[in-house]
Amino acid sequence: MAMATTTARIGAERISRRFGAVQALSDVTFSVTERTIHALLGENGAGKTTLIRALSGLDQPDDGWVISRGERVRFSGPREAFTSGIAVVQQELALSPNLTLLENLVLGTEPARAGVIDWRTARVRAEEIAESIGARIPWDRRAGDVEIGTQQQLEIIRCLYRGADTLILDEPSAVLAPAQIDRLLRLLTELREQGNTIILITHKLDEALRVADEVTVLRGGRVVTTQAADELDRPTLSELIVGEDLQQVRAPRTAPPGEVVLEVDQVQLAGRQRPVGPVSFQVSEGEIFGVAGVAGNGQEDLVEALIGLRPCRGGAIRFDGRDITTASVGARRAAGVGYISGDRRHEGLSITEPLVDNVAIGSHHSPPLARRGWFSPGAARRHAADILRRFRVRHGRVTDPASMLSGGNQQKLVFGREISKRPRLLVAAQPTRGVDLRGISELQQELVQARDNGTAIVLVSQELDELLALSDRVLVMFHGKPAGIFDPAEPDARARIGRAMLGQRSGTEVSS
Amino acid sequence: MSTPTATATTPLEPAAPPPEAGTRKVRSIALTVLRTLAPVLVALVVGGLVLQASGINPLAVYELMLTHAFGTREGLAGTLTSATPVLFTGVATAVSFRAGVFSLGAEAGFVLGGLTAAWLAVAVSGPVPVVTVLAMAGAVLAGALFSVVPAALKTQLGVDEVVSTLMFTFVATGLVGWLVNGYLLAPGQANSSTETVPFSLPRLLPPSSLNIGFVIAVVLVAAYWIFLRRTSAGADLHHVGVNARFAAAQGIPVNRVVFLAMVATGAIAALGGAVHALGVVGKFVVGGFSAQYGFTGIAVALLARRSAWGLIPAAVMFGAFANAGTTIQLFDNIPLDIVDVLQGTVMVFAVASFAQLFRRRRSVA
Repeated sequence: MAMATTTARIGAERISRRFGAVQALSDVTFSVTERTIHALLGENGAGKTTLIRALSGLDQPDDGWVISRGERVRFSGPREAFTSGIAVVQQELALSPNLTLLENLVLGTEPARAGVIDWRTARVRAEEIAESIGARIPWDRRAGDVEIGTQQQLEIIRCLYRGADTLILDEPSAVLAPAQIDRLLRLLTELREQGNTIILITHKLDEALRVADEVTVLRGGRVVTTQAADELDRPTLSELIVGEDLQQVRAPRTAPPGEVVLEVDQVQLAGRQRPVGPVSFQVSEGEIFGVAGVAGNGQEDLVEALIGLRPCRGGAIRFDGRDITTASVGARRAAGVGYISGDRRHEGLSITEPLVDNVAIGSHHSPPLARRGWFSPGAARRHAADILRRFRVRHGRVTDPASMLSGGNQQKLVFGREISKRPRLLVAAQPTRGVDLRGISELQQELVQARDNGTAIVLVSQELDELLALSDRVLVMFHGKPAGIFDPAEPDARARIGRAMLGQRSGTEVSS
Repeated sequence: MSTPTATATTPLEPAAPPPEAGTRKVRSIALTVLRTLAPVLVALVVGGLVLQASGINPLAVYELMLTHAFGTREGLAGTLTSATPVLFTGVATAVSFRAGVFSLGAEAGFVLGGLTAAWLAVAVSGPVPVVTVLAMAGAVLAGALFSVVPAALKTQLGVDEVVSTLMFTFVATGLVGWLVNGYLLAPGQANSSTETVPFSLPRLLPPSSLNIGFVIAVVLVAAYWIFLRRTSAGADLHHVGVNARFAAAQGIPVNRVVFLAMVATGAIAALGGAVHALGVVGKFVVGGFSAQYGFTGIAVALLARRSAWGLIPAAVMFGAFANAGTTIQLFDNIPLDIVDVLQGTVMVFAVASFAQLFRRRRSVA
């Protein structure tokens, strides 16, 4: 696309950013014309967040320039970016629930006369802005009492109130219901009419196509394309986002699957965002069962139900034919269920605690670490040292806190702890998240080896490549419901899974 | 999307040769002592300022206090006697703290345990050792049972433990008053109290009232230390307190651990009450039995931080304050309130995290 740099309100010129072994952005150039809505699309890990962190001064690129008002700039921090009118509306809203919306609005920038807050001026100004963009805000209600869509509008108005003319919205619709989304999109259009420039980061193609003037797609840290939105349609766009190139080698199962280990039968849950289920599937010995879905579509809740952290509302979970629907986490683990948490720093590890404790936990009630309730610190240290060595965790002393390991080594520790117990069933959520490329391949090898040893594996991942490479079947979750089970070996599996993740029905599905 | 940033964590490169295990141990002990002493030193400075402002030489007062708390045989015995109840309530509270629960249940347990033991020691006849053990066991049971309610409220209904245990302190206080005045009142006594127990726990340094209860408390600290380091259940307790989400995901029954910790707090504090009733007071007196020992126990547990052994010096210090306070009363130009100032300041700064202060300064430098 050929956009004259002079009209660029905000943009990037050949920006690169590297974190350890991961090249988060390579040579990214894009530009957003003044008074337009520009959608930024891409899978998780495509580099969207890194890019907006650079544009808003939260992070400095290794190479290249941020462009603001057609000029190369270097923001030393978010404050400087804000001074030039650029503000980010985060997904996690930062309002004080006990203050009214008006109080929240002026917080930190209270208009004062002789040290007393001038509420009248604040209110007049607030109402002016709200009216100009067609938002209706109940100014005197507490932020905690209004719906999240209103909170979000307030957050946007707050940016304008402080003088921003360029808004970067990070997945604003992820937390909204459909009707609220409509309102948000109307608001964005109105903001544009009022002369603001908007970058909209989203997973949802429809939204991008509905309101954006232009669309930029990122994949693997590179710009795939920048096009006018009206030249694009959904299938093209989803293909651009997901990509067609299968770089990874498949690691297909050689042995036929054995007995059924896990049977999920019409399970229903009260999920975090919405009810989940009913969902049914079976996983056999020596099989990797993948679960795909855009974050927040119920797969996280499903994982918690499998390990026993979230109660089922209906249906049954059977493990080796035994009903474990109401069994505790401890009972399931004792029966042979392993769990690799998607939240390594809070749930997978006790990050401030010594490595030895992190490895020993779960084994600390039984021989050789304990006998009749008496725990042997010496045996725990030997056990930990053995596992850390076997799983090639690069570590210092076993008494060092887990936080001293790199992300990849932390996850190898978790793998070691779980896989060394030789589980019948391993529930692995986002097992390679936040791990560098070499670490990823080592961890994936461990999964494949566990499978070859007969473990049944449920693999939940945001990385479609990973699912396609490792899984024997892939279940797609959408809005808490199963949207089909796919065979990743089929030639068009990636595109069909990608469509299903976005809620588009597809034709053939393999049966469970 | 967080992939790139998450990998930017500390890489693992051995930066410095690891110090000898022995040196590290010494350093960590020194650090613990320093952390425990910091609030005390701050308190002494604040108290010194107050004294100075009143025209009294603080050093002279401190010397007097020190001499009377530790300098003589009688003084030391008095200090350890005063330390005994708060060592029990300190251990009691520390158990809940370990589970990450801010239980205030020690006061209720202490009072109920005291009454139960005083009543059983009079009501049951038999050889003194048997009656003593029975009275203590009864007290422990009473303290445990009473704590079941706030513990169940916490684990079943998510009722905040600070609220429930505080409210149950009032319930306990009212309950013992009603029981004593209604059923257990000793005839011919001026204040509401139970009948005097016909025996007393063995004395260690007669004629002082320092008794075997202090030894029991120290043994309890040792048992607590062993429990934490050498038992699987101790490891459960530790993990629940450090990171409950992690503990739950590893299969530790978090709610059960929290429940048991809260019940243990009541039971251990009740044992302290029994020791106090049988060893020092000789009966249960409504309103006058516990000088807020349960709440001082919270300060003891806070001051000891996460160290089991640290509970002993912390309790001894509060014992010294209490003991020296009675001495200071004899000198009419020294305000007795200085003891309260010192105690209060220690409590405030016991909660303060001095380590954080150091950390912040280092990161600025």
